[in-house]
Amino acid sequence: MSDAVSEKIKDYLMREFLPGENPDELTTTTPLITGGILDSIAALKLVIFLEEEYGVAFEAHEVNRENLDTIARIVQLLIAKKPAVAQ
Amino acid sequence: MDSAITANGIGAPTVDAAEARARISFLNFAIVAVQLGMVLVLLRQFQIESTAFIQLAAVAFAGFAVHAFLPLRLRLPFFTVLSIASVPLTLGLVNGLWLLAIGSSLIGICHLPISFRWRAVVLLAVATLLAAQRATLLPFPWTEAIWPILGSMFMFRLIVYFYDLRHENAPVTAAQSFGYFFMVPNVCFPLFPVVDFQAFRRGHYSVDAHETYQQGIDWIVRGVIHLILYRYIYYYVTLAPSEVTNPAQFMQYVVSNFLLYLRVSGLFHLVVGMLYLFGFHLPETHNRYLLASSFTDFWRRINIYWKDFMQKIFYFPMVFALKRLGTTRAITIATLVVFLLTWALHSYQWFWLRGVVLFAWQDILFWGVLGGLVVANSLYELKFGRRRALGKPVWTWRSGAMTIAKTYAMFWIICVLWSLWTSESLNDWIALWSALSGPYTAEALLFPGLALAVIVLGSIPKQKVETAKTPQAAHRAWLLDRAVAVAWLAGLIVVSVEGVHTKVGTEIATMVHSLRSGHLSRLDNAKLERGYYEGLLSVDRFNSQLWEVYSKKPSNWLEVENAGLKRFVGGFAQAELVPSFVSMTKYGTITINRWGGRDKDYAETRPPDTLRAVVLGPSIVMGWGVGDGETFEALLEDRLNKEPLSPRFKHVELLNFGVPGYQPPQQLVAFDKATAFQPNELFYIAAGREMHRSADYMAEVVRKRLPIPYPALQAIVDKSGVRADMDETAALKSLEPYKAEILKVVYDSLVEQSLKRGIRPVWIFMPQVRAGIWQEETAPTLKIAQDAGFAIIDLEDVYRDRDLETIRLAEWDDHPNALGHRLIADRLYQAFAANPDLIFGNRANAK
Repeated sequence: MSDAVSEKIKDYLMREFLPGENPDELTTTTPLITGGILDSIAALKLVIFLEEEYGVAFEAHEVNRENLDTIARIVQLLIAKKPAVAQ
Repeated sequence: MDSAITANGIGAPTVDAAEARARISFLNFAIVAVQLGMVLVLLRQFQIESTAFIQLAAVAFAGFAVHAFLPLRLRLPFFTVLSIASVPLTLGLVNGLWLLAIGSSLIGICHLPISFRWRAVVLLAVATLLAAQRATLLPFPWTEAIWPILGSMFMFRLIVYFYDLRHENAPVTAAQSFGYFFMVPNVCFPLFPVVDFQAFRRGHYSVDAHETYQQGIDWIVRGVIHLILYRYIYYYVTLAPSEVTNPAQFMQYVVSNFLLYLRVSGLFHLVVGMLYLFGFHLPETHNRYLLASSFTDFWRRINIYWKDFMQKIFYFPMVFALKRLGTTRAITIATLVVFLLTWALHSYQWFWLRGVVLFAWQDILFWGVLGGLVVANSLYELKFGRRRALGKPVWTWRSGAMTIAKTYAMFWIICVLWSLWTSESLNDWIALWSALSGPYTAEALLFPGLALAVIVLGSIPKQKVETAKTPQAAHRAWLLDRAVAVAWLAGLIVVSVEGVHTKVGTEIATMVHSLRSGHLSRLDNAKLERGYYEGLLSVDRFNSQLWEVYSKKPSNWLEVENAGLKRFVGGFAQAELVPSFVSMTKYGTITINRWGGRDKDYAETRPPDTLRAVVLGPSIVMGWGVGDGETFEALLEDRLNKEPLSPRFKHVELLNFGVPGYQPPQQLVAFDKATAFQPNELFYIAAGREMHRSADYMAEVVRKRLPIPYPALQAIVDKSGVRADMDETAALKSLEPYKAEILKVVYDSLVEQSLKRGIRPVWIFMPQVRAGIWQEETAPTLKIAQDAGFAIIDLEDVYRDRDLETIRLAEWDDHPNALGHRLIADRLYQAFAANPDLIFGNRANAK
């Protein structure tokens, strides 16, 4: 199930921030913040997407490199917030 | 180096995986150690920053050698112990212990077993107490030296730390806390990056040890390159606003002002590079900020730690709090508040570093304009997005040209904005623009051409480790990065060797020689000098080494300035020493006699058989920083009486009429006063840059609408076109071309009035106790004095073969100390002994 979550996040990232780029190059470990894909505005947009898509609430201190730097970490955070996401 | 592209692992590492990452083979360690040895040589060869830093770097590198082979669990405690030890090692035992005690108390408060709210209240109370002490409203038992370092360690990091304690669940160890605040090499740097506590904790050996160490060396080397480039700009390229008279100089001025930022980026690379050596894989502090292609891009590339700090502590919490207003509004408001706070926090930083609150309109304007532009740019990106790339971006001529054009435009906009920020006043900045109406020569293309070349070269995409598509490509990119760093390291060391750079030619050798040491530029030297004369403190507001020199100056340094040594009397001279004033200073008593001179209480009428000389000059004559009886004037008088050089006079009296801050034109007033004492001799002490200081004073006289009782000076003012409503820079620009003429009027008048009264005029040149700008005008000044008819005594080499630091009063005060005054007195005595007629002759010199 977490694979499906990863795919959904990847689709969103490709559509919103990386149009025209090769989807194969975006893996679950591609650095998003340190790689310059997610800046503060993009991170906020992503958070709003996740909140709406999965019905979770983020807090300001969670918008950081630790939680959002890779798709894998985003999925981990989502699962921690809402274990049902993994099922 | 597969680990380079798999560095961002998922989840918490296992202990074994962490241990494995933290290990380094002996061969790799040896390679790193050799490079570190070269780094140490480089730091020494170029005297990077301070002796204290070089010593600390040596200790840190030695510490690295031990640290690299410790079990992982002991490495952070080892780093913390090394960091704590660095404090008393650098600041001295007493200061160091005080700093550690205050710092430990602040850390302790963060962990009190009470609610976070109450901890915050206690922290604020203690911070208020410390602020009151910093502002000297309350006494404190430690010396001022610890404030800037204490400030740099805690003023921002304590906020981050407290925030993370509030929001992090993982327990914090004592080693993490103490290591975070006292981290090597913070004790050497008042300006220090705002390292994030979370990044500090999580980054520790998060990536392969060898890769981390190598990255650290790269950044140290990059930092040193930035610092050497900074020195070149600082020494050779910067201009004063009053020197900017044509478009070429305008370009030079705005570009060089912005590039002075290389100091900050250099230091931050150096600092973070050193932290890498202890396993802290931290984010980069700057990302090629000259290549920013938009305002948001600039904000993201320059001082990234600051941006991250503001984002974490203020921006995201505010956006979340305002989310109900809609994302666009929330982002707009939060961005504007972030820039407002950035301005306020710069003042806050200034307060902790310098002890005074900074309030300058150009700061508010700069941050206001930049904030507005970043908001506009953010809204544009919110609506239209911005181009991002996975891996190496595809480069086409069209996209490349567009990027270069945007980057080039951004560079110049930032340069101009920066010039506003760093200008001493808005008027100064506005006056700069008149230079664009000057002649357009080929030189005007130099800086635009150089900037374009740098941007074009920087915009060519290169293979990066992070974006490599295969492990082989990543490895090649990694090796290339190492090779480049080592080549720079070796190249700079070779160039720094005297036997090498002296072979290339005198000019290059002189330049390399000057780049090899950190000293004040000619402009900062002038500001320091001006600081003595005009008591200006704002000269150290921004971005210069003078700032650091002043940061060491105690606030009560020779407190006589504020204790009534001088009084305002109006007229052309404006001020004079207060008669019968007595003050005790750290350097001895200062006694002003009833006539307003720092001297014994002589009778107004010259006694019979006495040679009486009046000594005119600025603070060096008055004896700034030495006690009564220790001035060269007092010492010389004493010796001339004890070891007479002529039987013609039974006594010699030297009357000290030196007044701190007096410029050459003011000496005309001092001379009028001195003639009442029937002198036989006039000793005029010239203290360097006489011409410039004369023009500067006349500009001040005009701006203050003071009377000019000397028709020849009034005539120069009239023909220069200087007006009272002009700002300082414009007034100086008008008078600078007449500076030699102004000085000539002063000298001619002194000689003419002396000869009329049978006084022998002697001109004595006294160097400053620092190599630099004062030397620029020595030859033409000496010629003007000679032509006027002064007898000349040139003491330019009075400090030759001496270590200037043993003669200088303090790093921030170039006056000679008691030893310096003894040297001057001895040299003058020798000069008189070699030519007694100079002062004991039968008649005054004729022109």
